[in-house]
Amino acid sequence: MGGLARRVSYLKAFKHRSNMEVPTLFVDAGNIFSDERFTAGQIPTDVMSKNKWVVKAYGDFHHDAANVNSADLPYLGELFKKEDFDKRVEEFPFINKLVSANVRPIDDAHLAPVPYVIREITLKRGVPGHKIRIGIVGFTESMPIGPNPDNRETVRGAYRIDDPFEAAKRVLPELKSKTDFIIALAYMPIDMSQRLATENPEIDTIIGARQINNTEDVQSVNRATIAYAYNQTKHLGELRVYVKADGSIENQVNRFVALDSDIPDDPAAVEVVTTAHNDFTNEQNKRSQETSSLIQSTSLLGAAESPFAGVETCAVCHQSEFEIWERTGHAHAMATLERKKQQFDTECVRCHVVGFGKGGFQSLTSTPQLANVQCESCHGPGRAHSESPAKGYGLMVTPIGCVACHTPVNSPDFNFVTYWPKVRHGAGEAAPE
Amino acid sequence: MVRKLSLLVIIAFLSTLAALNFGCGRSSGDDTDDGPLYVDLNDPKIKERLAQDDGYAFAIFYGGDIHGSLETCG
Repeated sequence: MGGLARRVSYLKAFKHRSNMEVPTLFVDAGNIFSDERFTAGQIPTDVMSKNKWVVKAYGDFHHDAANVNSADLPYLGELFKKEDFDKRVEEFPFINKLVSANVRPIDDAHLAPVPYVIREITLKRGVPGHKIRIGIVGFTESMPIGPNPDNRETVRGAYRIDDPFEAAKRVLPELKSKTDFIIALAYMPIDMSQRLATENPEIDTIIGARQINNTEDVQSVNRATIAYAYNQTKHLGELRVYVKADGSIENQVNRFVALDSDIPDDPAAVEVVTTAHNDFTNEQNKRSQETSSLIQSTSLLGAAESPFAGVETCAVCHQSEFEIWERTGHAHAMATLERKKQQFDTECVRCHVVGFGKGGFQSLTSTPQLANVQCESCHGPGRAHSESPAKGYGLMVTPIGCVACHTPVNSPDFNFVTYWPKVRHGAGEAAPE
Repeated sequence: MVRKLSLLVIIAFLSTLAALNFGCGRSSGDDTDDGPLYVDLNDPKIKERLAQDDGYAFAIFYGGDIHGSLETCG
């Protein structure tokens, strides 16, 4: 479900269905780049590759603007290096559509993204020929560190995140003087978006991201309509704007479009995504081989040093549960990724293995025994228990472990009552379907 | 009289032509050409997904949090 290829397909269908009479914009509220394994100012080459293709694809398929958030800053530092900036823009014109009014470089070697972009549309409906200048401006919060929301990381990579509310006061009057309609892209919780709307009557629409959202309901604060994006690409936000006879805005109506298999992939977008995928996978393969060699040469993670034992060890004492597990989807979780050649994509892998990032699965080469969703994915690390068996290990009181991966986005149909029978085991329970 | 009528017919013809070419026809508008469409607009599932065309003047499509992924897992 989802992905760029279906998104592009739907957008084309929307335009054609309206006989190309309806101007459309596409905006992204932020967190478009991966910052995975960003350490010591360096982004790994496979992650660089992934991000490069996002910039290319967003440009190729005519996205109008994307906001940047804290996670975007490491790669922003690569895109906005002063050295060879013009060449980079020539190759990836979408760089000039990355917007932020409150992100600025902390050194002289980097440039700031533009605070806003302006696009003029000409209406064919309502008031044919009427032009509307639309300003799209970006704001982000700095990321909270720990549970205290006042403790925030304001500097990341080569950039500092300033107070978004002060930035809004500075930028919005200027933007209002140049435009008729302002869209603020806001990577922040809804209460901060509400404050942004309350303090800034210039804003007509806020498109937010930062929290799981699955309601089409919008909020109206001051003159702004606030809509929050479904995260990732499984659902597309569609805000329909209606105008009055004098060309002013009458109403904005929000809906989410499920990009499931009823929406065919667009071939041109598939080509881009496939090329991106192959490029990224090649880089991941290289990295995997390097990691594997390193592990073999230094014994960084010998099997005995991991807190996870692996399903074969569990099966020694829990044979009946093992046999049930073998017939579940969990036991074949990695094959699902392999079919789509995503077995190296750590964004996906983490929910298809045991203990990723916690001393468990590292790669199919170095830790194949921890591939797939196994006993310890739910019951926790079991090596200590296997070496000194005793009651008390792995007791599951609530299904809270399930929802770490079965999120509303990844697994929208998840319901413990209906899903549990598929994996039911223990105390002589029946085998799954 | 005949000349006046002929002139009226010619003006009416030219007006119609102008309207067809520049008024109600396909917009060359603000949107870039995205290439050919591969979706069957008559497919009931697509119609359902697109919902009613109820006269909106323009549309803002949006997303977020793709975090480097142009595709989805599994």
